[in-house]
Amino acid sequence: MTAKKLTPGGSLSNIRILDLTRVWAGPLATRIFGDFGAEVIKISDPRVQLLSGNGLNNKLNRNKKNIGLRLDIESGRKVFLELVSTSDVVIENFRPRVMRNLGLSFDQLTRSNPNIVMVSMPGFGTEGPYSEFPAFGTTAEALAGIPSLIGYENGSPMSTGIAYGDPISGLNAVSVILAALRKRKHFGGGQFIDIALASSPISMIGEYIGAYSSSGELTTINGNRHPNYCPHGAFKCKGTDSWIAISITDDEEWESLYNILSNSRLNILSSGTLKLRKENEDLINQAVSEWTSAGFANERVRILQQAGVPAGTVSNSRQLMSDEHLNARNFFHDTKERDHGIKRFDGQSISGNSLPKSTWKPTSDVGEDSRRILTKILGYSNSKCAELESQQAVYFAGKK
Amino acid sequence: MSERPAKGETSGSALSGVRVLELAEGVAGPHCGRFLAALGAEVIKIERPPNGDWTRGVGPFLKGPPSGENSSLFAYNNPGKESVLYDWASERGLEFVESLVADFDILIEDWDLELRRSLHISRDRFTNLNKELIELSVTPYGLSGPYRKWRSSPIIQLALGGFLYLTGNPGQEPLMLPGHQPDYLTGLNGSNAVHIALWERDRSGEGQFLEVSMLETLATLHQFTMEMETFEGILRTRNGNQWQKQSSFASYGITTLPCSDGYICFGISAEDQWERLCAMIGREDLITDPEFNSRIKRANNSDFLDELLTAWIAGRTRKEVFMETSELWSLPTAPILDMSEVLEDPQFIYRDMFKSADTFTDSGAMFPTFPFKSTGLTTSLGPLPFLGQHTEEFLGRYT
Repeated sequence: MTAKKLTPGGSLSNIRILDLTRVWAGPLATRIFGDFGAEVIKISDPRVQLLSGNGLNNKLNRNKKNIGLRLDIESGRKVFLELVSTSDVVIENFRPRVMRNLGLSFDQLTRSNPNIVMVSMPGFGTEGPYSEFPAFGTTAEALAGIPSLIGYENGSPMSTGIAYGDPISGLNAVSVILAALRKRKHFGGGQFIDIALASSPISMIGEYIGAYSSSGELTTINGNRHPNYCPHGAFKCKGTDSWIAISITDDEEWESLYNILSNSRLNILSSGTLKLRKENEDLINQAVSEWTSAGFANERVRILQQAGVPAGTVSNSRQLMSDEHLNARNFFHDTKERDHGIKRFDGQSISGNSLPKSTWKPTSDVGEDSRRILTKILGYSNSKCAELESQQAVYFAGKK
Repeated sequence: MSERPAKGETSGSALSGVRVLELAEGVAGPHCGRFLAALGAEVIKIERPPNGDWTRGVGPFLKGPPSGENSSLFAYNNPGKESVLYDWASERGLEFVESLVADFDILIEDWDLELRRSLHISRDRFTNLNKELIELSVTPYGLSGPYRKWRSSPIIQLALGGFLYLTGNPGQEPLMLPGHQPDYLTGLNGSNAVHIALWERDRSGEGQFLEVSMLETLATLHQFTMEMETFEGILRTRNGNQWQKQSSFASYGITTLPCSDGYICFGISAEDQWERLCAMIGREDLITDPEFNSRIKRANNSDFLDELLTAWIAGRTRKEVFMETSELWSLPTAPILDMSEVLEDPQFIYRDMFKSADTFTDSGAMFPTFPFKSTGLTTSLGPLPFLGQHTEEFLGRYT
């Protein structure tokens, strides 16, 4: 096989993105672009601290450049529009009125660049009855019905612990932006894209929507119990809040688990079909719990997987970061963060022609790349930069 | 085949001219295929006899008794594809697949190592035959590493990926997310990998072998789970419907409370939102109260604050509370809807979030479209293929 001659600098190195997004969904999307070599210019309000010490922005903004830029100042907006004229994508996640009020709506941006792709990621959408309502990852998943599908037996709905609207929106944005750029390449023209945080989780439960709309029957939720798999759930092990998940998906896996449990109370279930197992689920779950709680999670999982039984440690953050599989695959990225020393972050889960990890850049602080962006991309003189600085439109961090 | 779209075409879909061979079953690979098909790719789904994709036989089901033809799961993930019934899982079958890949841009498969070994499918077997081919491998654990032969199911991925630990009541059994979340997320991630690889191919002319695993996908989608630990030394835990109570991510106001007709979710995290919340319930005194003047203090008083807020709700409906909090106070809230209510929500209806689907039976089913609206991208969800509906035509063309 001949070696592939892939594009130096990463697959997306000819894409320039102006990134106005904050918090999670937007920065996650642009992080993927940055990891694949795109020039992501993060635009930060100099009055707001970016690296506040909790690590969130360190995690999500690697491989991006940063300009400290005030969009509420006329000359700052002018700089922004000049950047728009040389960029491919503008992405933002303010509430819909913000860009409009700044005079930076899609129509206005197209005057600077008729081929610009503008992406807005509001809570509910840029139009419609809730468009100006604020949202958060957990409220987005609530409107989408996710907590109604999570809960204990006879319990009330349960929110996910992970603000689920955001990561889905972030992933969606990558495909949609690249589809828009591909369309532009072949057919020309920019476009406006609106990805709603609250709509994103709906795409992850399409089968429940389809089933209800057709049958009129709501799915009943009963903890981790599963209509087709049994036993199925998280079972307690030795140690504080230590659990493993077990999921028996067919009769063969049950036979293996049955042999491991070797519990005489289960004798009637030796050749247990799904139907028989579901009828005796309480008994089975009790027997499984007895066996798991007599051992440590990792050891129990190893015994089960070696016998062909689907099982996994219910990992907390510490277990996740020390997971032997992820570490063997060199998944994590340890980087030296200013003021914090070496920190471990998640790597990139998408394979392909990304930048090698050895060249990844930690998050740029506010204004760290302002001068380079203005002089190299826009060709501004030092005196022009000084003028913008004196107007407080641009913030330049570090040495002059 | 690399110069798509077809000559003379002046407008079209983003992926018009892109041809996808889908050999993956289940949810992850087919969900990726659904997205590509909706953006204009031609997706040929090759299914093995006798029953085809295993999701054709599993629930949840559309109305009527469960059969091979009314799986809602299959109907959601496979519209607009062509179904070819063909047993590719033999040496002769794989030679046929080899003869096909010259004509395709993308191959989506979900072969684990065991299957690869037993059928002699080396990693580059197909990408060697067509240097422009993009092969997307979606598997639970990837093709290397200590877990490479482990069994999986959605709850196992959620467990290992660190999601399961974070949902549910403290001390109680952690709760899974519904259905097939690791698969859907990996399908989206796979779609991203394919789009990036298409962009690469347009530049360098090179296809690629892409490996996307569920476990790594989940591990890149944590909010601040790892950072709470690495920057502040605090383990993130599950807190039921209340939010974190330690670390700088602690907050009061991300909580779920009862209304007369169900539950409403509050998502208050910023300082100005907290102050408006106090004003809204007539307790501005709390803003300056030393017992409540930090995020952690408020988080640790969650039960007390939940009581105040529940008293303010005073048995009104979710909609009343949602409108007042959102419109008048600009606070992020939302009713927790069930599937029947999601389908009737005015905002989702405004966005055409649901569309009647062409299914095998007269099911009346509606399915989600896509979470984005765009002035330049069209998405279409074509008819659902019967098992082997396009076999004769397809094999006639290629054999």
